[in-house]
Amino acid sequence: MSISIIKPGICSAVQDLGRTGYRSLGIGPGGVMDFFAASVANYLVGNDENTAVIEMHFPAATIAFQSDVCISISGADFAAHINDIPVPLYQPLYITNGDLLSFNKNISGARAYLAIGGGMTTDQWLGSYSTNVKVQAGGFKGRLLQKDDVISLNAVAVTKRSKNFSIAPSVIESIYAKENLICCITGPEYQLINTKSENIFSNTSFVISNHSDRMGYRLQGDALSLINSAELVSSAVGFGTIQLLPNGQLIVLMADHQTTGGYPRIAAVITADLPKLAQVRVNTAIKFKLLPLSKAEEILLSMHQTINEIKKGCQNFYAAH
Amino acid sequence: MNTKITLISSRAFHITALNENALLVSYGNIIDTAINEKIIALHEQLTAAPFGGMIESVPAYASLAVFYDTLIIKQQQTNITSAFDFVQQRVLQLISKIEVQTDIRINTIISIPVYYNGEDLNDVACLHGLSVEELIQIHTTATYRVYMTGFLPGFAYMGTVDERIATARKELPRLCVPAGSVGIAGAQTGIYPVDSPGGWQLIGKTPLKIFDQTKKDPCLLKAGDQVKFVSITKTEFEKRNEYQHH
Repeated sequence: MSISIIKPGICSAVQDLGRTGYRSLGIGPGGVMDFFAASVANYLVGNDENTAVIEMHFPAATIAFQSDVCISISGADFAAHINDIPVPLYQPLYITNGDLLSFNKNISGARAYLAIGGGMTTDQWLGSYSTNVKVQAGGFKGRLLQKDDVISLNAVAVTKRSKNFSIAPSVIESIYAKENLICCITGPEYQLINTKSENIFSNTSFVISNHSDRMGYRLQGDALSLINSAELVSSAVGFGTIQLLPNGQLIVLMADHQTTGGYPRIAAVITADLPKLAQVRVNTAIKFKLLPLSKAEEILLSMHQTINEIKKGCQNFYAAH
Repeated sequence: MNTKITLISSRAFHITALNENALLVSYGNIIDTAINEKIIALHEQLTAAPFGGMIESVPAYASLAVFYDTLIIKQQQTNITSAFDFVQQRVLQLISKIEVQTDIRINTIISIPVYYNGEDLNDVACLHGLSVEELIQIHTTATYRVYMTGFLPGFAYMGTVDERIATARKELPRLCVPAGSVGIAGAQTGIYPVDSPGGWQLIGKTPLKIFDQTKKDPCLLKAGDQVKFVSITKTEFEKRNEYQHH
């Protein structure tokens, strides 16, 4: 039971929902950029949400299967094909020993996820299967996937169901709609920026630059400035923290962010909009909308409700068929 | 840790949201042993007795971030206005206990051997009108406090560096600073735990692994630790070198 990487694609890596409990040692959570897509891909194949998946960018990986398995693909639409036949996203797909999965067109989104029923046999480090490239630990040998890598799969019986199911497009749409509008709350240093900068932040667009990766998105837009420039002592940051760099430009910290930083944290992207932000492509303009904290909490709860309904729906399908 | 000194101090702090899953307590933009000790005490107490829904806390120079699961808190606490308010109450209770009395721990001093041959050693000495020997002597005389860990896994921010050798970061960061490199940035000194880009002024190298991912406890240094650097020779460095690729 295994899969082999025929073509590695760009920055394909094994990830789960991240490594918690080690930020105080300087070890960040890492994990998938889009927790919604990864969780749903897992539910679709009967896994729990934290099972390791393969995160891919475009060009994505070409993968050969040496076993009969159930898989699902979610997140970005890279025109997935099995043996040159197009296959849909957000649906269980039954793979036969010898099948080839490939992606041949960059249609929408930025990151696709491949979940495999039963999961892969990869390395756990500090409680997580996420790949930490910096210290070369976790995931597949602590590194990005390479040509000819062979990843073992956990043995699990696959029964092809007489019926199939998929996630309603409207549900997916509810998570990723208004892709250019990113909601946030004010950060600890928001009051350090001047009124003009407050206006720039809330009323102008920012383009996600080419220098954006899993660590952070560098934005290009009108420069913001501080009322008084000050050197700050380092303090904690998180996934979604928006920092103001000395040149007046913003950076949004993403999954592989450092645990601490010294730039003013003027805002934080709400958790419910992180999947959407993870799927926005470089050179796309986004706008920020500030919400009160209470609203951010509300939205988070309602997103979890959506995720829970999907989870239950998938569990019910597997229980009934 | 052995001796304890009791310190009584009180200082204004602010509580804000870092995001909707994390609260930040900040005592301001300051590097101060007593405040840092209070932050570490808060971190240790929260870690030893986490409230339901707490994920982890992150101590820094003068702030502590408390990460929590908003969903779990909302489910467990039905009489709360928001998860943030609930966590804030818990943190305030803890601070009021700690405000009264904080023990400054006098930890055992950890000795770090350093072969002083860093690429910036001569430049830093020159800049301050010192000989290399004087610079080494000044760097090895002080006992440093680990204020916090961040930036990289196991990267300990240590201070305070004697003002005679305190040096601003390099204008152009290096693309790769090898693991074990000992550097200075302003009044801070630190050791690169893994190969990484970095802008600190490099003065030497330790043969000790500061970060070892194969160990259950991967970091040699933690916030609150006391550190002293000891100058060693090239031969000694090579004998004790724990990095395979050198």
